[in-house]
Amino acid sequence: MTKKSFMQKAAAAPHVVWAVLFIIAPLIFVVYYAFTDKDGAFTFSNITELMQASYLEIFLRSLCFAFLATVICLIIAYPIAYFMAKAKPKTQKILIMLVMLPQWLNFLIRTYSWMALLEDTGIINSILGVFGIDPIHMINTSGAVILGMVYNYLPYMIIPLHSVISKIDPKLLEAAADLGCSPLKVITKVVLPLSVSGIISGVTMVFVPSISTFYISQKLGGGNFDLIGDTIERQFQTAYNYNLGAAMSFVLMLIIIVSMAIMNRYSGEDDGGVIV
Amino acid sequence: MKKSKIFGNIYTVLAFIFLYMPIAVLVIFSFNASDSTGNITGFSLKWYGELFSDAATLNALKNTLILAILSSIIATVIGTMASYGINKMQNKHIKSATMSVTKIPMINPEIVVGISMMLLFVFVGGIVGSQSSLGFGTVLIAHITFNLPYVILSVLPKFKQMDKSLPEAAQDLGCTPLQSFFKVELPAILPGVVSGLIMAFTLSLDDFVISYFTIGSGFETLPIRIYSMTKKRVTPDMYALSTLIFVSILVLLLISNLTSDKSREKMSKKAKKITKIVVGSLFGVIAAVTIVVFIVSASTETLTLNVYNWGEYISDGGEDTLDVNQKFEEYYEDWYFKKYNKRVKVNVNYTTYASNEDLYAKIKSGAADYDIIVPSDYMVERLKSEGLLQTIDLSKIPNYENISEQFRNPYYDNGKEKYSVMYTYGIVGIVYNKDKINDDDLAKIEAGEAGWELLWDEDYKGQILQFNNARDAFGVAMYSLGIDVNNATDAEWQKAYERLKEQKPLVQSYVMDEIFNKMEGGEAALAAYYAGDCLSMIERAAEAGVNLGFYYPKTNGKYVTNIFADAMCIPKSATNVELAHAYINYMLSEEPAVANAEYLYYGSPNKLVVNNGDYIDYLGDDYGVIYQEEFESQLDYMFETYAYRSLPDEKLKLQNNLWETLKVGSDSFDSGIYVICGVIAAVLIGFGVYCYIIKRKRRRLYWNTQKEASKK
Repeated sequence: MTKKSFMQKAAAAPHVVWAVLFIIAPLIFVVYYAFTDKDGAFTFSNITELMQASYLEIFLRSLCFAFLATVICLIIAYPIAYFMAKAKPKTQKILIMLVMLPQWLNFLIRTYSWMALLEDTGIINSILGVFGIDPIHMINTSGAVILGMVYNYLPYMIIPLHSVISKIDPKLLEAAADLGCSPLKVITKVVLPLSVSGIISGVTMVFVPSISTFYISQKLGGGNFDLIGDTIERQFQTAYNYNLGAAMSFVLMLIIIVSMAIMNRYSGEDDGGVIV
Repeated sequence: MKKSKIFGNIYTVLAFIFLYMPIAVLVIFSFNASDSTGNITGFSLKWYGELFSDAATLNALKNTLILAILSSIIATVIGTMASYGINKMQNKHIKSATMSVTKIPMINPEIVVGISMMLLFVFVGGIVGSQSSLGFGTVLIAHITFNLPYVILSVLPKFKQMDKSLPEAAQDLGCTPLQSFFKVELPAILPGVVSGLIMAFTLSLDDFVISYFTIGSGFETLPIRIYSMTKKRVTPDMYALSTLIFVSILVLLLISNLTSDKSREKMSKKAKKITKIVVGSLFGVIAAVTIVVFIVSASTETLTLNVYNWGEYISDGGEDTLDVNQKFEEYYEDWYFKKYNKRVKVNVNYTTYASNEDLYAKIKSGAADYDIIVPSDYMVERLKSEGLLQTIDLSKIPNYENISEQFRNPYYDNGKEKYSVMYTYGIVGIVYNKDKINDDDLAKIEAGEAGWELLWDEDYKGQILQFNNARDAFGVAMYSLGIDVNNATDAEWQKAYERLKEQKPLVQSYVMDEIFNKMEGGEAALAAYYAGDCLSMIERAAEAGVNLGFYYPKTNGKYVTNIFADAMCIPKSATNVELAHAYINYMLSEEPAVANAEYLYYGSPNKLVVNNGDYIDYLGDDYGVIYQEEFESQLDYMFETYAYRSLPDEKLKLQNNLWETLKVGSDSFDSGIYVICGVIAAVLIGFGVYCYIIKRKRRRLYWNTQKEASKK
């Protein structure tokens, strides 16, 4: 028995050791760098530096962009997921495949391709020009950055929503309709509350990468809309200020933890409120 | 009912058009005859051919596959063992703690995972004193780390679903725990293991962010290569590669979808067998590839030279030019064979950076080991003074005599010991789009009277590009204000900052290598940039029908602009010093030096180049622009007055702070976006409160009825 239980414990040991070395230790280093200066002395100056108006604006902007991207993704994805869930099983399978397929191409090259589409002399504007429409300025705007986020992370919203909605028992919908619900009410009173878990995981999977992205805004925003990720990247790759970069990462983690906590609490009440 | 179905179909189709639009662009342009994304000139397969001769891309593809295979297999082994152990854990607290830690890399933003590991590696590397703390090993560790949670989350449920009495029965019947694992448990969890493996493999294949922070000098994956390409221009062979990847995945997925449906309907036993065979052969192929890769990499002695250079800064074999790096490999292999009568394989590992500051951050952190770097003047001075360069042994560089005397003792390296060999020199000027500049300004430019002020002209709002690095951007502001770039006081720095801030609303974007694409595509009107790059932009833009011009800005009738030199150096941490010397020597010989000069359009310090007849013919009028008489006659004075010097620490700090403030502060405060954001947030909060109130009401109602019921 003892030998057996030892064996069983040993099986998880490599992973535990790995996790301590490469998951926990790096996070400790983030905190360590965030609260020390270049010589390794303890300091709060990195955090206080982030309290400047310009950095606060970056945090606010990132939060705002990521929030909008998430909301837009949810609005676009929900009907798709709903219609997909209503299709035949075989069609559903193919549709899921088609949703995920673009993700197999590297996101850098897909974002780059959006540049070619959105530029002032780009593809969309050339097509508009054929119809005699004046070029619309799209690239290097905040809208383009949000579009990039929505495009890249939309599938991560569709898939969890679809998997939850497709599991809803159709009998429930019929029952609701029989009891006098209009089709719209069936959606708001039955489908929506039952898909809350999908919404939560979808929102998480879109919000976290959106708030921390650093490539999309550089390409589609022309460097005019610095986000948290861009600023962190600059500290590590150009400005050589690891301490400030670590402090920003630390704050970013806090923001995400807080947002997740708020959302979980809010959604918990939400689903209780409507279902009961 | 029917109406909603039609609506649903239209909606879904629109969504798919949105998802596939950029991919269609990639596919179409992979068949385009020209290499611009601006216009389609005809159907051609040449980029597919080009792809298979693009050694760097193929090498990156190979690296990506090796990394994905190794990391997914290791993660699957560790993860499966871990799932077995976690499933058997008795203590609930330990179990949930282990699971929460396991999930961290999934929940944490990628960038935080990346930089946290980078900090660990750099710190440990610093303690151990290793010359380069990042490399293949670190990126492998990082990939295994972010793969692990996905493997565990797909294997663990299978363990939970499995009937616990099965392994017990097996062991009662005489199996050892190990035997029972392989005979009973493994077959039961196999689907989870396979899907975990596949997931890990694809994640690793596609990862950019984490690799970007943990990758060292000697290793480049495909996403990293794409990243450095998207900074300048992406050659269409990358579109061709993407198209090939896309089509092969599409075919694979279709086959798997169709076959699984059929077999499931008909013979499930046979289907299981087929799945087993497929899975088995998949493992077999992966194992075989790994073994072959190891054998191949171990069997030949390879000398690797890590060269870290500016983007687009060497003749690279594209469009019938000389592939200098490849030529060097051949040359050195021959030379080595003649000298030692032994074959050796030389591999030049060529990676690029976009600014001196990027280079400095890499070298200073000790994160990578480069053998050759090409910093600019002031950066040579700084690296030298911080002891990051090693002396160059000129006796090993006989071709040094090809360098003109006047370039042998540049101000940044004029001691007895040499730390650098000049590669090119050039002058900053202004490139402009003739069709976007108004006639008055055009006349001014043609009369040679235009200065820096055009970069501050309201007429060109949103059409101006500015340097995306502190030194050059502040330089432009200072030259325009007539401030001495090397001895500016704090107040003058502040003034330059105000000048840049004034310009910010007019600036379309801050760019480095991205400028090629933007100017050649006719996206912008004006930009200050390095003359050589401007001339090559003009050349390429003309092919695409965009009419660019170039001038050196004058202040009070005198050229006031930056002159710079880029020089080859060997960092202290170089591992292959011998080969690095040979490389420098080779670059100074006539053929590669002329090829580079023709490719780069920069001034060459090499006597053999300047007097080369082919070169002079090739440049035509541009020769006069590059070797501008007014500069050439007083090069020493120009360098003394207008070249950047390494700034003292306090000024450097001031510069970086001002730059950071400029970059992060936004004048285009997008109030609209914030208002929309606030409104949506308010609606959501209102909805939440509403739900909460309803819920409480209902709960109260429920309790009241319960109470009444119990009373009765």
